[in-house]
Amino acid sequence: MIFRELALAVWISLKTSGLAALVASALAVPAALFLAGREFRGKRLILVINQTWMAAPTVVIGLLFYSLLSRSGPLGRFGLLYSQTAMTVGQIFLILPLIVGFSYTALRQVDRRARPTALTLGATPGQASRVVLREARFALLVAVLAGFARAVSEVGIAMMLGGNIRNVTRNITTSIALETAKGEFRNGVVLGVILLVITLGINILVQTGFRGRDRD
Amino acid sequence: MSDAVYRLENVAYRHPGRPEPSFRLAIDALAVRGGEVLALVGPNGAGKTTLLSLFGFLVRPAAGRLEFFGGDPWADGDRVVAARREAVLVTHHPYLFKGSVADNIAFGLKLRKVPGDETGRRTREALALVELDGWERRPVARLSAGEAQRVALARALALRPKVLLLDEPTANLDAALGMRMEALLREIGSDRGTTVVFSTHNFSQASRLADEILYLSEGRRVEFSHENLFSGRAETDGKKSWIEPRPGARIVFAGVRRGHVTCVIDPAAIRIAAAAGGPDGPGGANVFHGRVTRMETTDAATALVRVSGDLVFRAALPVQELEARGVSLSKEVLLRFEPEAVEVVGERPADGAKPA
Repeated sequence: MIFRELALAVWISLKTSGLAALVASALAVPAALFLAGREFRGKRLILVINQTWMAAPTVVIGLLFYSLLSRSGPLGRFGLLYSQTAMTVGQIFLILPLIVGFSYTALRQVDRRARPTALTLGATPGQASRVVLREARFALLVAVLAGFARAVSEVGIAMMLGGNIRNVTRNITTSIALETAKGEFRNGVVLGVILLVITLGINILVQTGFRGRDRD
Repeated sequence: MSDAVYRLENVAYRHPGRPEPSFRLAIDALAVRGGEVLALVGPNGAGKTTLLSLFGFLVRPAAGRLEFFGGDPWADGDRVVAARREAVLVTHHPYLFKGSVADNIAFGLKLRKVPGDETGRRTREALALVELDGWERRPVARLSAGEAQRVALARALALRPKVLLLDEPTANLDAALGMRMEALLREIGSDRGTTVVFSTHNFSQASRLADEILYLSEGRRVEFSHENLFSGRAETDGKKSWIEPRPGARIVFAGVRRGHVTCVIDPAAIRIAAAAGGPDGPGGANVFHGRVTRMETTDAATALVRVSGDLVFRAALPVQELEARGVSLSKEVLLRFEPEAVEVVGERPADGAKPA
């Protein structure tokens, strides 16, 4: 496996999973804010569904989107199957419940007095919501990074929706699968180490840079 | 009254999502004048904090009309935000945002777009008022409960609101600091013309600080202090009823009641005499034994005596009778009052019972 190919696989992993984490966070955090701030009929059911969805195997989500995006599927005319877009969309659906769940827990742990305090000091409802998010910023960041880590390390969706096309949709995990299947264990291990280094880097970032600020 | 800051008409509030019978605040009529210091006095659950939240526009009345400077602050979203900016609430256990003391004080000022140098000046000024000069850079995570309460007060003072709402403002402070904070509240009310509404359990504090005192019991305005105010689940024999605020301490009153009852006994209706050879002797209904733990005079002629036993009572009697009845500090005494002297001021279905 040449270096360029390796670097491209790393880049595709970071790009698709990073984008998936960003889009999923943009949907999941407001949803968690809504769920954490209100009591309503059916909320428990939503949380149970979310938890169930969280445990869904990646291949099941891959299969679901495969049936949607395949040529004969309802979204087949968009020609998205075996593309980075398909990988990203699949990963969004994979990590969405995870980020909702983690963010919900994070926001529920924010002191219940934070919002009324912001309101009485003159904040608009929107500003008060931002205060609540700010108070939970570290835990929310952990939720987003956990989502990214899940996306970057999954293989089922990338394989089924990306198709493991060389230099196009082949990412770290599908490369590992391929290299292992070929008997090139050394390459597989190198890619695995790269994946671990990325995850380690994220963790160091969380533990040092953000946690220190959060303690104040 | 044209200078009313607040005007309430038949305002009622019920905690959302709670089934009947749930706590409900109901104020038929109330006006709070500009520059007035109003104390809300009552036992736990009386509705003091709820009324402060209504005054701070953090909760919306379920019924009735609440006017603020003659207008309806709940008419639209902008108005309610504007009203909140004029009426700032400092809660009993205030929440401080993560960051420094200065970050917290600057929060409301930034929302009001106060320039940076003015923010710094007001921060220093507010901290000086609560005797925390130079604490700007301290992380709030390291503050004690009392310090946090003072920072929260400074955070509100820096905003220079027209109305300051304080929920038990001296609850977390030691006695000496509490007195100094009382002096500050007097200054805010009298010198700055800020309308101050505060809640307290302490009737003496209310008397010292307030122009007006609003007594609350079970969510309703009552026309007396919370002295000799007792509550409990009523039982009845069909003619008289009684509650036992503490096991074995039975307060008997006329009429048939079966719910959770709050009652009050006028201190002047309580007869008091030394325990040995007292005129009424032990036994019978509404006879309580205790020790005199405090004596004070409300005016030149009347003494108010606190007697602590199974229950704590205050009894009022003419000063010149103290000696004749053998009442002095630390003395064992007997108290007696008639069932008819017990006035039931609140009744709600007992817990678990269906509403009538």
